[in-house]
Amino acid sequence: MSTASAAWRARLDDVLWGPETGRRLVFVHTALALLIGMRVALGSYRQLADTPGPLFDPVPILAWAPSMPPAWGFVALQVVGTLAALAAVARRRPRVAFALAWLCYLVLAGLRGSRGKVLHNDLLLLWTAVPFLLAPVAARWQDRTPRRAHGWPIRSAMVIAALVYFLAGYHKLRRSGLDWAIGDNVRYVMLWGPSVGAAKWDAMATWIGEHLWASKATGAFILAFELTFPVVLLRRWLQPAYALVAVALHVTTFLFLGLDYWAWALTVLVLLIDWPAVADRMRGEAPPPR
Amino acid sequence: MTGEEPDIPERPDLADGPSAGARRLVVAALALLLTAGVIGFEAWPLTAWRLFSLSRGDRQTMWVLEVSTPDDEARPVSLEELPLRYRHAAWPMAGLPTASAARREAICRALLEPAAAAVDGVTELRLVRDRQQLVRRDGEWVTTHDREVVHACRPGADR
Repeated sequence: MSTASAAWRARLDDVLWGPETGRRLVFVHTALALLIGMRVALGSYRQLADTPGPLFDPVPILAWAPSMPPAWGFVALQVVGTLAALAAVARRRPRVAFALAWLCYLVLAGLRGSRGKVLHNDLLLLWTAVPFLLAPVAARWQDRTPRRAHGWPIRSAMVIAALVYFLAGYHKLRRSGLDWAIGDNVRYVMLWGPSVGAAKWDAMATWIGEHLWASKATGAFILAFELTFPVVLLRRWLQPAYALVAVALHVTTFLFLGLDYWAWALTVLVLLIDWPAVADRMRGEAPPPR
Repeated sequence: MTGEEPDIPERPDLADGPSAGARRLVVAALALLLTAGVIGFEAWPLTAWRLFSLSRGDRQTMWVLEVSTPDDEARPVSLEELPLRYRHAAWPMAGLPTASAARREAICRALLEPAAAAVDGVTELRLVRDRQQLVRRDGEWVTTHDREVVHACRPGADR
């Protein structure tokens, strides 16, 4: 095997299964469980009960469901999912609890998306949580030595997140070409507003729509951000910057288009910033060896 | 490390990696994500991630509800006025042009009840394809409408 090939294999191996501290694993695992619990507990699900049959279009994994469940069914899923998430946060049988919370979340989000429109709001959290279904649960907050046994769930979740953002950019290019960014597209996205819901900062959306340079700059920035997202896997020092840009993107999407992507924003923040190391630095403690 | 050497990351305790099951789970998840994402099909939670991917222009087609009242007034009913379970009805409505008569009637009847709850005295509900255009007039953005009634139903009427 050539040196270059071996180097790339080693790098790929590091990207997917590289080392992290036990305290970071505990933090991310717990934070994802908390996010899942919040989505399960706070989501408007039971209002979907009694959706008329002609408007019920189950997603493929729920194709067996004849109709939306009754309100008590939604509440039961929410209660079980929330309690399971809390148990995972409290590190009580964390693997089983996390899996149960994730499953309830999957079903609830799937039901919400069973009304004809493809919904992506919950998918980043659902997919990045997948590696944590088998994450080691023996990690402790005191573990400050990076180990692959503690790193792989975090690293592979980062790869999933990077792939998701890249694919979002890829399909913009594939379906619309560069015109998506440098044509009139963003202008009209802003001027038309959301097809469901309402913009929270209509005036700013209209301002961007009326200033072509602003809409083109917005489009170019979003497309460049999404397409280059995988760079964070190789240049880890870029991760906090990309996380903050992602948060800005999702916050402005909420303000300008009224779309709820807070789960994406928080998931990226949890995954791409080493919060325990940040806390250590703020306390003046040395970061763990890399 | 010299500048010519490959930048191989350090990997402490190399053997301390994920189990075979964990590797299989991650590789399967990535393969599923890539397959759906690159080919571009929707089978939720598998998706093509086509978020806002279709370029928008000054024209769009919307599906809207319009009701008549006893004083013969035609009034649009925003889906936002209806309970949450009806707010995505535009997507089933978008399939109306190619749907059977029975399917059209079923969708219309499903929306009649909440429309009647939102507006007093509804005598007819119309499912309307609204071809809209955004135009600039006197310094303001104005939406023009070209409405086409695709199906209508009345309270209490037989199919």
